[in-house]
Amino acid sequence: MPDRLQQAITVLQTRFGSAAPRPAAPPCAARPSGIAEIDALTGIGGWPVGRLSLLAGPRGSGKRTLAQRSLAAASREGPVAYVDFPSRLDPEFLSRIDARLDRLLVVRPKSLREGMASIRVLARAGVDLIGIDLPRARAAGLDAELPHLLHRIAEADCTLLLIHDADADDAIRYYASLILSFQRRAWVFSRGGDLEGLEVDAAVVKNRLAPPGRTERWVVPYPHGKSRDPDIP
Amino acid sequence: MTHGKSRDPDICCIRTPHPSLLAAWLKTPAWRGRPLILGGHVHERSDVVAVSAEARAQGVVEGMSLNRAQQFAPDAMIEPVDQEATARVRQSFLATLHRLTPDLAAAPEPGCAFLRLDRLTLRWPDRARLLAAITRTIEEVIGSAPALGVASSMFVSTVAASHATPGRPVVVEPDQTRAYLARFPIDTLPLDDDLREYLELLGVRTIGRLQTISRQAFRRQFGLKALDVYDLAIGIDRRRLQPWRPPVRIEASEPLEPPVDNTQALQFIARALAEQVSTSLLAQGLGTRAVRIVLNQEAAPVLAVEVRYAYPVTTATELFDGIRPRLLRASIIAPLERITLRAGRLEPAYIRQPGLLIRRDGFQESIADAVARLQEEYGAPVVQRAEVRSDAAPLPDHRILWKPA
Repeated sequence: MPDRLQQAITVLQTRFGSAAPRPAAPPCAARPSGIAEIDALTGIGGWPVGRLSLLAGPRGSGKRTLAQRSLAAASREGPVAYVDFPSRLDPEFLSRIDARLDRLLVVRPKSLREGMASIRVLARAGVDLIGIDLPRARAAGLDAELPHLLHRIAEADCTLLLIHDADADDAIRYYASLILSFQRRAWVFSRGGDLEGLEVDAAVVKNRLAPPGRTERWVVPYPHGKSRDPDIP
Repeated sequence: MTHGKSRDPDICCIRTPHPSLLAAWLKTPAWRGRPLILGGHVHERSDVVAVSAEARAQGVVEGMSLNRAQQFAPDAMIEPVDQEATARVRQSFLATLHRLTPDLAAAPEPGCAFLRLDRLTLRWPDRARLLAAITRTIEEVIGSAPALGVASSMFVSTVAASHATPGRPVVVEPDQTRAYLARFPIDTLPLDDDLREYLELLGVRTIGRLQTISRQAFRRQFGLKALDVYDLAIGIDRRRLQPWRPPVRIEASEPLEPPVDNTQALQFIARALAEQVSTSLLAQGLGTRAVRIVLNQEAAPVLAVEVRYAYPVTTATELFDGIRPRLLRASIIAPLERITLRAGRLEPAYIRQPGLLIRRDGFQESIADAVARLQEEYGAPVVQRAEVRSDAAPLPDHRILWKPA
């Protein structure tokens, strides 16, 4: 915030007390996502701690790849978990992006209730970040589980990333503090014809912690390829 | 003070530092060896509850006001007493001794207990080894070696323990009791103010001097009530050891009027009962491994549901996490008139929760405990770890090894 604006706000606060302007978003701790573009998009420097963030987008839009990159970054700091409803997690991919597999717990629940109970227990036990890969077909009853779950993760200061289909349910849209929508713009190939990564468009659809509406475009590299952007690991 | 053997003394007084001090040291090990005063915050007008040896050396004693204590020991840390942790330490101390022998009594003074050694001598015929085993057992639990005093009565063993040091027990043989007590001032006896004043006026300042007075003369001078004090002075203690028993179960119940058939309301009530049970468990330093939910249905048989935990749980959240799914799955066919939670299989919480007394722990299970609980509830494959084997066959399924966490 510019100094002059801050000074003006201070003057107004002195004169008018609680009627003075105040930040619209509450202060919230953030966990770096490991991807500079996402940290910039969220407006708070990463995924919000103690809240639910939704990564939405159609198949092949890169949302799972980005979630796994965040998981890898968080695993280098502490324990993480991945609730893998569709059994799609690729540990080999994670190991190539330097994830600490010894700190990663993979939960493969048989039902939504079992998955939610696992998240609650692991969050309270001290897991820092939990990724949930939840296809739309398995999400029936999620609206009833989310309030209890969110209360628990807020208590435990755990970061929750939900990977869901593009047209997320209303309940998830309501409870999520941050919604990022991804679209694949193009596949990126090397001159030799190898797939190097994908170019994604990301937009902040909803943000309770910073102004929404920001957009960003960048290349998500695959581990065996090279990024066009030297900043991307 | 070990002398010739006439008859084995059979009561051992075990004295540890004040449980509040032990709890404070367990929570913050850096405080050990530093002057520490427990009783409240500096600005509060309260009294000293417990004091470390370093602060005591500067003149601080229990019961002194905190302001005064600060003047005596300006460099000492003054902290409030953690009542729950203190209760947990005391409970752990007694429960540990109870596992050694059921002949155990809790002394009114905090951090003090009595053991009858008769049965223990069958296991450890050598007294030195027996006392070493007691010391080791206590030290493992509370992190401090106790002072032990062994004598033929509770009073003499208490006096002996108060003059013993950790690792060097004082043993008073029965035929030496009178001589042993003779050296101590009369303040060692539980005297009321009047009796102390009378004795001092008569020039009786030591127990030995008091022993020279005949029983009849003492009774004539001070009355029948004072004879108990005289008996203690000559080594006769008629008090009997009141056995301490660990609690077997903790129960909380709530009648429902009118009967409840709403699941949400039922969960709300169960949560409140879990909090009641948790409060009792916390106060006694216990954890439960099984909770029985008894549901009295209107015009239908009583329904009982058992919840089992992988390790002793204590907090309401942990209890309710187990209770809620069972409650939702219970086949309730009629409105409920009463709900009861019965916590059984009680164990000292520290057994499976070694961090219970450590700051930020005790209310938070470890990840290993959480995984164990999930696997017990939903089966081992629910939480897995992955391992990538680079030397394996090229098929991805062969390269990735999944195993239960």
